[in-house]
Amino acid sequence: MDIVLQQIVNAISLGGIYALLALGLAVVFSIVSLINFAHGELMTVAGYGMFFAAAVSLPFPFAVCAAVLFAVIAALLTERFAFRPMRKADATGLLLTSFAVSAILRVIFQNGISARPKPVPLPSGFAGVIDLGVLHVGIVPLLSIVMTALSLVALTLFLNRTTLGKAMRAAAEDFQVLRLMGIKANRVIAVAFAVSGALAGIAAVLWIAQRGSVDPLMGFVPVLKAFVAAVIGGLGSLTGAVAGGFALGILEVLFQAFLPDAALPFRDAFVLGFVILILIWRPDGLIPAPAARRS
Amino acid sequence: MLEVSGLKVKYGEVTAVKGVSLSVSKGAVVVLLGANGAGKSSTLNAIAGLVASTGSISFEGKPLSGQPAEDIVKRGIALTPEGRRVFPSLSVADNLHLGGAAHASGDELKKRVEAELDRFPILRERYRQKAGLLSGGEQQMLAIARSLMAGPQLLLLDEPSLGLAPLIVDKVFDLILGLKQRGLTILLVEQNAERALEIADHGYVLQTGQIVLEGSGPELARSDLVKQAYLAE
Amino acid sequence: MKNFRFTVLAGAMSLAGLTTGAFAEDVTIGLATAQTGGLAYADQPSLAGFKMAVDEINAAGGLGGKYKIVLDIKDTRTDTAATVQAAQELVADGVKVMITPCDADPSIAAGQISQPAQIPTLTFCGTTPTITEAVGDYMFGTYPADNGQAALLADYAASKGYKNIYILKSPDSAYTLRLPEYFEEVFKKKGGAIVGEGTYTMGQQDFAAEVTKIKAMNPQPDAIMTAAYEPDFPAFLQQLRGAGVAAPVIGSDGIDSPTITGLGAIANGIVHTTAGSPVAGSKLAAFYDKFKEKTGAAPETVYVATGYEIPYILDAAVKAAGSVDGPALRDALANLKDVEVLTGKVTYAGTNRMPIRDITIVEIEDGKRKPILTAMPDPADVPKP
Repeated sequence: MDIVLQQIVNAISLGGIYALLALGLAVVFSIVSLINFAHGELMTVAGYGMFFAAAVSLPFPFAVCAAVLFAVIAALLTERFAFRPMRKADATGLLLTSFAVSAILRVIFQNGISARPKPVPLPSGFAGVIDLGVLHVGIVPLLSIVMTALSLVALTLFLNRTTLGKAMRAAAEDFQVLRLMGIKANRVIAVAFAVSGALAGIAAVLWIAQRGSVDPLMGFVPVLKAFVAAVIGGLGSLTGAVAGGFALGILEVLFQAFLPDAALPFRDAFVLGFVILILIWRPDGLIPAPAARRS
Repeated sequence: MLEVSGLKVKYGEVTAVKGVSLSVSKGAVVVLLGANGAGKSSTLNAIAGLVASTGSISFEGKPLSGQPAEDIVKRGIALTPEGRRVFPSLSVADNLHLGGAAHASGDELKKRVEAELDRFPILRERYRQKAGLLSGGEQQMLAIARSLMAGPQLLLLDEPSLGLAPLIVDKVFDLILGLKQRGLTILLVEQNAERALEIADHGYVLQTGQIVLEGSGPELARSDLVKQAYLAE
Repeated sequence: MKNFRFTVLAGAMSLAGLTTGAFAEDVTIGLATAQTGGLAYADQPSLAGFKMAVDEINAAGGLGGKYKIVLDIKDTRTDTAATVQAAQELVADGVKVMITPCDADPSIAAGQISQPAQIPTLTFCGTTPTITEAVGDYMFGTYPADNGQAALLADYAASKGYKNIYILKSPDSAYTLRLPEYFEEVFKKKGGAIVGEGTYTMGQQDFAAEVTKIKAMNPQPDAIMTAAYEPDFPAFLQQLRGAGVAAPVIGSDGIDSPTITGLGAIANGIVHTTAGSPVAGSKLAAFYDKFKEKTGAAPETVYVATGYEIPYILDAAVKAAGSVDGPALRDALANLKDVEVLTGKVTYAGTNRMPIRDITIVEIEDGKRKPILTAMPDPADVPKP
């Protein structure tokens, strides 16, 4: 029983990170129909933010702020200089642009910083365990769950209570009409990228808390997971992205925990197989975005 | 107030509007009649800055062409698009709020919301509901109220009665008359030619992107072309 | 027309360059290595060291004292198809020696191009012992091979008194799969037992499920052995220690990087093999100082040193062969014995061209690597590839 509970905690913690990543993709996709494959590199930028903060001996909470700030700035810069000039392009053109941005950033990291991983030391308390009766929960998974929950609450408040947040939701439904209200398209899109960058930054902190290093290619795996999670949830749907993230995290942990040893090397095949089943059952994802997207 | 001349709108190879010239004087209701695909909506969208156009558009003597939609609404021209296009998952309150957010803030914004709720009591009842759950007529009211939140001098109305029950259509036209009496200038695109001409000071008939007839409301109502094509006689 | 004349002029100039550049005393070494992409972490530092040695050798008169080295460097972007293309271009350009990336697959692919052209080819730090057999008699390793590392590590584990070991491996690469298997083979021969085995996907990041299983083992294993490296190893370690598992972790040279010592207290007690450790007063330490003086930054990894050693291994072979002719150079390389390099001695004679060389075992303590022993693995222990 203990081990099952333990694995459930693991699943929620991993699912939370995937949820934040998928949300980051969905926020941008819902507004500009761009699947931003450079989202992973935003995480890498955040990781280097933590590394540089640690290098100048900033305390850990400041390093976290630096990470998020770096990612937000990087998101805004890519929007301004790569995606805005391509705004009129079709979905394929935008997708290719995001691949190009991702490749350019990786080469910049490799040749400008280092091809080798850079250590990001965590406060020593992070390796600890908290005892909750039968459960022994690691500090890092616990922190992941708390940070995910706080981020989701903050994002929900932002989207429902602030004018900019409402404008983002409106933009996802009907961008043209929002412009007719006099609300600047560029501003809303920039905010979407900034929110996406902040989510990437938070996810990067949690991701790095698990691995202790940042390297130029770090973003590749998470952006793939985020993409799969966003598709499971329903591309462009924010609640769907959260649901998809948790679904993917739970699937991965369950298969890793309970597949027989001989089948373990095929874990990812099982996970993706299950994802295909989900998509056969619900082709538009668990919680699809409203279908009426106007061009 | 609004002067349009030689307006052309192209979508790729297709020319939807082929040199339309029209004018709307202050305080008037002007109607654009025409069949589906005649270029009525394209004309409105071009004036509102949603689609690119050539030719000249000027508003109160100053050129308007080439400006983005966001700036044109700030100049005092609001468009209520065809099909209402309220934000379905946002509440009535949020729809109204966004309509005015770029033009007013704080108490002024609240005052404008109150004014619209007074004008449309049904929206007060539905204030917290999602806009997507409103009936067609209610959504049309919301769409118009949302446009009025910008405080326009000229309102472009695209097919406001389309798909509504006759009783509701009456309400919509009453509303347009009411707006006119309060001094708002209106450029109306309408399929219901009979009702539109009743309230119009002036009208234009569009065919395949060109103006083929213009005149006062009663003149157009009497013309053979309009009688045959648009009035059920 | 202006352009055309310019092209002709440029062509004539490059022709002239070719003729003057190709006099008998020059030897071109072609490098088809990954300076960007997933292998850049190893190939970039290897190249940095390699270039430094080439400059030194050229300043001293060239390979074997008479052949000035010219480098033809191509980036393969960690793409096997691009590696093949680069190898084809280098062969067509007539290079005398070729260097391939730090990984088995692109090295084998490139070697299969250079083998028929009789060009001796060396991999930067490909460690899979099957690389040379897969290509043929012109292919050489330079770095301590996986089976050698595993043998020395298993010997250490047995001497430490470990009886029950848990191994963690990944089927995603020869290194992460076969090295633990070599370890298992030797460790069992020495009387130990493998009490559990986990697998992971490279880059999977989340080891919570695996760690929870280890945590639940009763009794706990004496040690955990893995060939995982970054980013998987730090993630695994963080989560292992985070779950309260205290068993020591032993590993291989893939974790010989500052990232691991940068992990802080949880890295204490890690034991791993490496090509060399810069102990104060050693040749390697002197090289690290020299490198820092020249480039402004200390090497981040021993790959800089192993890259630096390759031109000197070639130098020894050219001296023995007296020429840079393909077959002669191949034979000379294959018969090298006890060549002194930074990290110890390198021997090819009697091997299948994966060298036997000194391997160091280190233990991490308070952010520093403390050498435990440096030795050549006993050839009787080393498993067949």
